[in-house]
Amino acid sequence: MNLTLIIPEIFLFLWALLILFVDFFTAEEKKHRLGPLSLVGIVITVVLVVFSGQGQAFGEMFSADYYSLSFAIIFLGSAFLAICTSIDFARERIKHQGEYYALILLSTVGMMFLAASRELLSMYVSLELTTISLFVLSAYLKTDLKSSEAGLKYMILGAASSAILLYGISLLYGITGTTVLKGIQAELVGSAFPGPLLVISLVFIIAGFSFKLAAVPFHMWAPDVYEGAPTPITAYLSVASKGAGLAAMVRVFFGSLLPVTSEWIPLFMALATMTMVLGNIVAIRQSNIKRMLAYSSIAQVGYILVALSAASELATTSMILYLLVYMFANIGAFAVVIAFYNHSGTDEICEYAGLSRRSPFLAISLVIFFLSLVGIPPLAGFVGKYLLFLAAIQKGYYWLVGVAVLTSVISLFYYMNVVRQMYFRKPTKNDPVKVSWSLRLALVLSLIGVIAVGVYPDPFVSLISKAASVFVY
Amino acid sequence: MNMGESFPILTVVTFLPALGIVLLLLVDKNRQLLVRNVALFTSLVTFLVSLFLYFKFDPGTGDMQFVELYSWIPSLGMGYHMGIDGISLFLVLLTTFLTPIAIWSSYNAVTEKVKGFMISILALETGMIGVFVSLDLFLFYVFWEAMLIPMYFIIGVWGGPRRIYAAVKFILFTMTGSLLMLVAILALYFVNQSYTGVATFNLLDYQGIQIPFNYQIWMFLAFALAFAIKVPMWPLHTWLPDAHVEAPTAGSVLLAAVLLKMGAYGFLRFCFPLFPEATIHFIPLFSILAIIGIIYGAFVALVQKDVKSLVAYSSVSHLGFVMLGLFALNMQSLEGSILQMLSHGISTGALFLLVGMLYERRHTRLISDFGGISKVMPVFAAFFMIVTLSSIGLPGTNGFVGEFLILLGTFRENWLYAAFGATGIILAAVYMLWMYQRVMFGKVDKPENQKLKDLSLREKLILVPIVIVIFLIGIYPSAFTSRMEASVAKLMETVNEKYRVEEVMPQVQPRRDFQIDESQLEVSTHSFGGGEIHRGQ
Amino acid sequence: MTLYHYLILSAILFVIGMYGLLTRRNAVGVLMSIELMFNAANINFVAFSKFITPNEFIGQIFSIFVITIAAAEAAVGLAIVLLIYRNYKGIEVDNINFMKW
Repeated sequence: MNLTLIIPEIFLFLWALLILFVDFFTAEEKKHRLGPLSLVGIVITVVLVVFSGQGQAFGEMFSADYYSLSFAIIFLGSAFLAICTSIDFARERIKHQGEYYALILLSTVGMMFLAASRELLSMYVSLELTTISLFVLSAYLKTDLKSSEAGLKYMILGAASSAILLYGISLLYGITGTTVLKGIQAELVGSAFPGPLLVISLVFIIAGFSFKLAAVPFHMWAPDVYEGAPTPITAYLSVASKGAGLAAMVRVFFGSLLPVTSEWIPLFMALATMTMVLGNIVAIRQSNIKRMLAYSSIAQVGYILVALSAASELATTSMILYLLVYMFANIGAFAVVIAFYNHSGTDEICEYAGLSRRSPFLAISLVIFFLSLVGIPPLAGFVGKYLLFLAAIQKGYYWLVGVAVLTSVISLFYYMNVVRQMYFRKPTKNDPVKVSWSLRLALVLSLIGVIAVGVYPDPFVSLISKAASVFVY
Repeated sequence: MNMGESFPILTVVTFLPALGIVLLLLVDKNRQLLVRNVALFTSLVTFLVSLFLYFKFDPGTGDMQFVELYSWIPSLGMGYHMGIDGISLFLVLLTTFLTPIAIWSSYNAVTEKVKGFMISILALETGMIGVFVSLDLFLFYVFWEAMLIPMYFIIGVWGGPRRIYAAVKFILFTMTGSLLMLVAILALYFVNQSYTGVATFNLLDYQGIQIPFNYQIWMFLAFALAFAIKVPMWPLHTWLPDAHVEAPTAGSVLLAAVLLKMGAYGFLRFCFPLFPEATIHFIPLFSILAIIGIIYGAFVALVQKDVKSLVAYSSVSHLGFVMLGLFALNMQSLEGSILQMLSHGISTGALFLLVGMLYERRHTRLISDFGGISKVMPVFAAFFMIVTLSSIGLPGTNGFVGEFLILLGTFRENWLYAAFGATGIILAAVYMLWMYQRVMFGKVDKPENQKLKDLSLREKLILVPIVIVIFLIGIYPSAFTSRMEASVAKLMETVNEKYRVEEVMPQVQPRRDFQIDESQLEVSTHSFGGGEIHRGQ
Repeated sequence: MTLYHYLILSAILFVIGMYGLLTRRNAVGVLMSIELMFNAANINFVAFSKFITPNEFIGQIFSIFVITIAAAEAAVGLAIVLLIYRNYKGIEVDNINFMKW
C-alpha cells in the first residue's frame, strides 16, 4: 500500500483541522485572517498534488493519475478563488468563520478523493463528504430566511439524489458482482445482452448524477439554492460541486460503462438538449443576477453533456478543459457580483445600471467573463466550446451541436442584458464600488486564466489530453 | 511561399492597432485630445506600414504572399497562418485606409468616453484586418467573432436613440450565422481528416480535397448563411438599416466600408474554392436573391426620409451587385465585384462621413429639414456631388468600373440577370440625385440652415484623400485590377478544375487507411441532415 | 427465499420512500422517507452480497458505510430543519417558499 499518494489529501484535511484549532484561539475581530491561512494551505496542497507521484493505492480504490491531477487542480483552484471572494463577505456577514473555511477545505478534500477513486464505495463516501459539507455551507447565513431555505432544499434533494444514485449503484453491483470500475467493465464486455436490470440501474445512476450536475429535469433545486446560499458558496457550488459530479460521472461511465454505450448515450443526448434549451431560455427572464447565473450554469452543464454523449478521448479532453475554463469565467463573474453586493447589498440586475462609470474595472471584468461564458474568441470559453463541439461533430451529432449553437445565441441575449445595463444605461448612484485586495486577487487571477487559456491553450490541452487517455475508448 | 524568415509584416499590420490599445490604456482618460491623437497616430502608422504590402506585392502569382505559418495548438491542428493574395490585399488596404479617416472624423462627434471609443475602433481594426489575412479557419473564426464585440459597443454606447435595439439585433443576427458556420468548420475538419489523415484547420490544405456533394451542400449553406447575413443579402438584411442609422458616424463608415465586405470576401475565400460544386448548384438561388436585393434596396432607398437610412438601403442594393458579380463566376465579374467592394467601401464610407458632418451641424438627418444647402455650404456641396456621382457609378469615378465589369461578366452568363441588375443602376441614379436635389438645391427656407458653417480644414483633409481614391480607381483601374488578376484567375481555375473532376468521377472514395475513427464516416453520412441528399451512391 | 424476494422488498421500500419524499409536507417526514430509500439500497447490497458474491463481503461493507453516512446526513439534515424551525416558526415544507420553488 502506497500512502504517499494520498499525502495531498491528508495534508489538506489536517490543514482544515488546523484552521478549526487556530480558530479556537483567535479573537473574534482577527478571525478574518483565517481566510488567508486557508489560502496558504491550498497553495501548499497544489504543490503537493503536482509533485506527488502517480500510481494506485488501497487496491483498486484510489488512483493518482493525470485525470485526478487535473480535476484536483480545478477543485483546488475553485476553492482558492471561492475563499478569495469569501474573505470580506465572511468578515461582514458570517459568524463562525473558522468552521466556514474548514468546511470549504473539507469538501475540497472530498472532491479530490472523488476524482481519484476508481471504485464505487470510495466514490460514494467521497461524494457524501463533499455534499454534506456543502449542505452546511449553503445554510450558513443563520438568520437569513433565503439561506436556510436554500440549505433545506439542497439537503433534501441532495440526500434524495444520493439515495437514488445508491440504489442504482446497488443494482449495478448486483449485475456485475463487483464495485471496482475495471471489474464492472470486464463483466459487461462479457455479457452478451444487457438486461432490463442494467437499464434500470443506469437510469438511476444517471438521475442521481444529474441531480448533482443540475441537469434538466433534475435541476429544480439549483436556482433556489444558488440564490439563497452565501454568494461565495454559490460560486463554489456552481463550479466545484458540478465538477465533482462530472469527475465521478465520467469515471463511472467512461471507466466502466463503455461496453454498453448504446444504453446511455441517447439518455445523455436527451438530457443535454433539455438542459441547454431550458437553462438558456429561463435565464432570459431572471431579474436577480445570482438566479440568472444559476440558470446559466445549468445551461453550461448542457454543453458539457453534449460532449459526454460523444464518449471519446476528445470528449473527455474537452469536458475537463471546459470545466477549467468555466471555473475561471464563472467564479470571476461571481467575484464581480460579490464585490457589488458587498458594496450595495443587492443582486438585482437593474441595479447594475451604469456600473461602467462607477467602477470601470468591475464592469469590464464582468463583460470579459460573460463573453467567455458565451464563447467569444479569443477568450477561454471559446476554446472550451470549440472542443466540445468538435467532440460531438466527430461522432456526427450535427443536430445536437446545432441546438448547442442556437442556444448559445440565446445565452448571448441574457448576458448582454447585463452588459447593456452596465454600459448603455446611466447610473442611478455615482459612488465608486470599492474592491478589496482579496476580491481583486480573485478577479485578476480569473482574468488571467480566461485570457491565457484563450490565447495559448496548447499546454492546457496537452496536459488534459493526458488525463483523457486514462480511459480505453 | 517560403517567406517565413522575412519580416512578419502581416502580424505587424494586424496587431499594431492592438498595440495602440495598450498605449491608450496608459493615457489618462480625461486628456481627450491626447487620446484621440494617439489613436489617430496608431492607425496612420498602420496604414503606412500596410502600404508596403501594396508595393512589395508580386502581381505575377496567384499564390498567397507574405505567408506566416506557426503552430498554435499543435495537438488539435490549429495554426497561426496568415497570408494575402490579390483578393485580400485591397480589403486590408481599404481597412487601414478608412480607419484613420473614421477616427479623425469622430474628433468632434464623440465627446463622451472618448478613450473607450478609440479602444473599440482600434480593436475593431485588428479584428477586421485579421479576418482578411488569416488562412487558418480557427484563426479566421477567432477574428471573425472577436470583431463583433467592439462593433456592438460602438453601436450600443455611442449610437443614436434606438441604439440598444440596433446593437442587440446586430449581434444576434451575426452570431447566429457565424455559429452555424462554426459547425461547418468543425465538420470540414473531420471530413479533411478522414481523407488525408491530417488534423488541420489550414485553409490551403482543405482546398486539395474533394468533398462529396451532399456534404458540400450543407457546408456551403452553413458558411453562406454567415456570409449572407454579413453582406447582407435580402432577406437577411434587416439588421443593417438599424445598425447603420443608430451607429455613430465612424461606426457606420467602418460597418459599411469593411464589415459588409467580409461577407463577400467569405464567399470568395471559403465558399467558392472549398465547395465549388455546391456553389455552381446554388448560382440561380443566389443570383436571384442578389437581384431582389438590388431592386428592393433601391426602391426602399427611394422612399426614405432619413439620409442615413437612404444610404444604408443603397448599401443593400450595391452589395446586391457585388453578389451578382460573384455568382456570375467569370473573370470579369469577379474582378468587377472585388473592385465594386472597394468602391462601395470608399463612396459609401464617404457618404456616411458627409451625412455625419451635416448631422453635427444640424442634429437632424431628415431630408425635409434641409434644402438649399449648396448655397450655404458650397465646398460641402461639391464634395457631396463627387461622392454622389461616384456612388451612382458615373464614368471616370470608381463606381463605374466595378459595376460595368459586373454587368459585362453577368451578361456573358445570363443576359436576363444582367438586365435586371442594370435597372438597379438607373434606380440608384434616381434616388441619389433626387436626394441630392432635395438637400442641396432649392430655397433655404429653414432659418436654422441659413447660418450653417462650411467645412473646416479637418473635414476637408478627411475628404480629400477619399476623393483622390475615387478618381484614381475611376481613371486608372489597372493599378488595382493588375494585382488581382492572377489571384482571381487562380480562384477560377480551382473552381473549374475541381468541378470538372467532380463531374468526371463523382465518387472519389475517402482514403480509409488513414482514417482515425473507423465508424466516423458512416456516422456522419447518415446524420448529416438526415441524409436526404445522397447523390447516386 | 430467493434473491428476487429481497429485490422486490427493496423496490417496494424505495417506492414508498419516493412517494413520501414527494408527498410529505413535514420536513422531518421527508427526511424519514429519504432514510427509507437509503435502506432500500442497503437491502439490495446485503441481498446481492449474499446471493451473488457469497465469498466476499463488498455489499455488506457497503451497507455499513451507507448506514454511517445516512446517519451523518440525518444529523446535518435535522440541524438544518431546526434552523428552519427557528426562522420560519414551523417545518411545513409548503410554507418555506420565500423563493420560487
